[in-house]
Amino acid sequence: MAEPVSQVVASMPRAKFAALMALFLGPSVAIYTLFSIYPLIATMGLSTYTTDATGAYRFAGLANFVILLTDAVWSKPFWNAAWNNLIFFAVHMAVQNPIGIALAGLLSLPQLRFRGFYRTVIFLPTMLSVVIVGFSWSLILSPLWGVAEGALKAVGLGSWFAPWLGLPSTALATLALISVWQFVGIPMMLIYAALLNIPDELVDAARVDGLGQFRIFWHIKLPLVLPTIGLVSILTFVGNFNAFDLIYSVKGALAGPNFASDILGTFFYRTFFGNQLQLGNPTMGAAVATVMFFIILVGVCFYLFVIQRRLRRYAF
Amino acid sequence: MASLSIDALNKSYGETKVLIDIDLAIDQGEFVVLVGPSGCGKSTLLRMIAGLDAPTSGDIVIAGRKVNALAPAERRIAMVFQSYALYPHMDVRKNMTFGLKFTGVPAAERDKRVAEAARMLRLEPLLARYPRDLSGGQRQRVAIGRAIVREPDVFLFDEPLSNLDAALRVSTRVEIARLHRLLKATIVYVTHDQIEAMTLADRIVVMNQGRIEQIGKPLDLYYEPANLFVAGFIGSPAMNFFDVKVSRIEGGSALVDGPCVAPLTVPAGSLAQGDSATIGVRPEHLTIGGAGSLATTGQVELVERLGEASFAHVRRADDKLIVAEVRGRDTPAAGDVISLAAPAQDVHVFDAAGRRLVTAESQ
Repeated sequence: MAEPVSQVVASMPRAKFAALMALFLGPSVAIYTLFSIYPLIATMGLSTYTTDATGAYRFAGLANFVILLTDAVWSKPFWNAAWNNLIFFAVHMAVQNPIGIALAGLLSLPQLRFRGFYRTVIFLPTMLSVVIVGFSWSLILSPLWGVAEGALKAVGLGSWFAPWLGLPSTALATLALISVWQFVGIPMMLIYAALLNIPDELVDAARVDGLGQFRIFWHIKLPLVLPTIGLVSILTFVGNFNAFDLIYSVKGALAGPNFASDILGTFFYRTFFGNQLQLGNPTMGAAVATVMFFIILVGVCFYLFVIQRRLRRYAF
Repeated sequence: MASLSIDALNKSYGETKVLIDIDLAIDQGEFVVLVGPSGCGKSTLLRMIAGLDAPTSGDIVIAGRKVNALAPAERRIAMVFQSYALYPHMDVRKNMTFGLKFTGVPAAERDKRVAEAARMLRLEPLLARYPRDLSGGQRQRVAIGRAIVREPDVFLFDEPLSNLDAALRVSTRVEIARLHRLLKATIVYVTHDQIEAMTLADRIVVMNQGRIEQIGKPLDLYYEPANLFVAGFIGSPAMNFFDVKVSRIEGGSALVDGPCVAPLTVPAGSLAQGDSATIGVRPEHLTIGGAGSLATTGQVELVERLGEASFAHVRRADDKLIVAEVRGRDTPAAGDVISLAAPAQDVHVFDAAGRRLVTAESQ
C-alpha cells in the first residue's frame, strides 16, 4: 500500500531529502538568479566602474554616485527627473486611487444594474498597449487635428483648450492623467474584490444601526479594505518609479518640452543608451539604475515595516 | 395591544413566492419563535420586520406605527445576527455605541446604557477588547449587548446560536431566556432548531414553504399539532405515521385499516367511508408488547441508547422505519421481532389533506 506522502518524505535519508528539495526549488532559483539576482548585482558592480578615453573599464568606487548627485551637469537633470517622478506618483495617488476606490464602492452597491458592463469597460484600457494609449491620446490632444478642442467647443468650453502635452507647466500632469485613465481599473478591481469579501450581515448590521450607504462605505467598508488600499499604493509606487513607456511613446526620450516630463526611467534611458548628441554611458547608467533601485527599496521597506504593520487584515 | 403585527404579508421574487399571506400578531413582552426547515421563509420574514427587505404587499405595524416605509433604524428594532456581525475594526464598547451615535443619543446616555448592558451580560472586562480577541460565546453576548443598548420595541434574533458549539448553545439559550425575563422585551426569534423553539418560546410559529402552518404554545403544538407537517416537524425523533383507509363508519367512530397496522377505531370526525387518512403516534407513546388500540409489529434494526431512554428503530413489513422509545435498561436487541402498541388517546388522525381531526382525548 502507498504510504501518505508526508510520511514518505519524513522518513527519507537526509541526502535524498536534500536532493528532493533541490529538484523542486532548483529550477525557480536558477531562473530567478539568472534573470533577476545576477543582473541586479552586475548592475551594481558596473556602477562602481568608469571608462577612460580608450574605452577601458576602470574601478572608480562610488565616484559615479558622487558625480550624479553633486556635479551640476548630472545632478540637475537627475533631481529634475526624481522630482517629476514624485509628482507623477502623487497624481496617481491623488487621482487614480481615490477614483478606483470610489468606482469599486459604486460597483459593490447592491442595487446597481449592468455591473459587469461597467466593470469591463473601465478595466478595458488596462489591457491596451501603452504605446497605443500614448499614441491615441497624443492624437486626441493634438492642437492641430485632435478631437479634444472640438469636443470642448461643442460644450462651450473651447476657451479652456490648451496644447497640454506641449506646455512645460502641464505636460507631466497630462501624461500622469493619461496613465491614470489607462490603469484606474487595477485599483478598482483589487478593491472591488476586497469589498465583496465583506459579509452582507455586517452591512445589514450597519443599516439596522442607522447608517446610509455612504456612511456604511466610509465607516465600515473603507476601514476593512485598508490593507488592500495599502497594497494598491505600494504597487502604484513601484509602477510609477519604474515608469518609462508612456513618456517615451508620447514625448520620446527627451521627455519634453525642455525635460518637463522627464522621469527617472527616461533619464536612465538617455544616460545608458545615449540619445542624439549625448553619448551612451553604461557605467553612469548603471549608477542611475542602482539609485532607482534604492529609491524603490526604501519605499517598499517603509511600506512593509511602517505602514503594513499598522494595518490589520480582518478575517470574517 | 399588539407590539408587532403583520397583516396579509406577501413576498415574491419574480414568479417565486417566498411568503404567502402571513398574518401574525405579537403581544408586548412576548417571546415568539419562528421555526421551520431551511427555505421556509422564516429569515425573510424577520428581515422584512427589520426593514432589510421590502414586502411585495401587506403591512408591518410596530408599536402602533405602520413601518413599511421606514428605514431599519427608524423602526425601533434591534437585530442579532447569526454571524454576530460585529464591526471587526471597533472594540466592544465602540461596537455597542456606534449605532447610537447616528441616532442622536447623547454621549452621557450612551455610556450609561453601555454600562447597564455590560453589567447585565457580564461584558465589563471585555469592553476594550476587539472582536477578534473574543470567543464565540463572548461575541454573541456583545451582539446581544449591541441590541440592548438600542432600547428597541422589538428584538429580532436570526439563528443566534447556530455558530456556537453544543455546550455553549445550551448556556446561551438559558442566558437569552433570562434576559427576556429581565428586559420584559418583545422578541422575535428565528431558528431551525425545534429544541430552541420549544425551550424559549411563549408561542411558536411553525412555517413551511412560505406559509404559517400553526401558531401555538410549545406544548400545544406538541400535543395538538394542526396538521401532518407540524406533527412531523415538532418532536424528536419524529412522529411515526401509518397510511390507512376508512373501511367503515359506525356511529361517530371510524374503523381504519392499513398495511402493518391492526385495524383500529378512531373518532370519525369528517371522515367518510373509503377516505384515505394518516394516523400518527409519537415514539414515546409506543410500548413494547403492551396492549392498545394501535398495534403494529416489526424487526428491530438499530437501538440508539441515550441513557434515560433508548430509541428502537423498527423496520415494518412494508419496509418503512418507525421509532419507539424504550425506557430503562432492558432494550430489545437488533434483529428481535417485536410488537408495539399505543393507547387510543395518543393516536393522532389526519385526513387526506393532512389536517388533524381529533384525538380520543379531546372527545
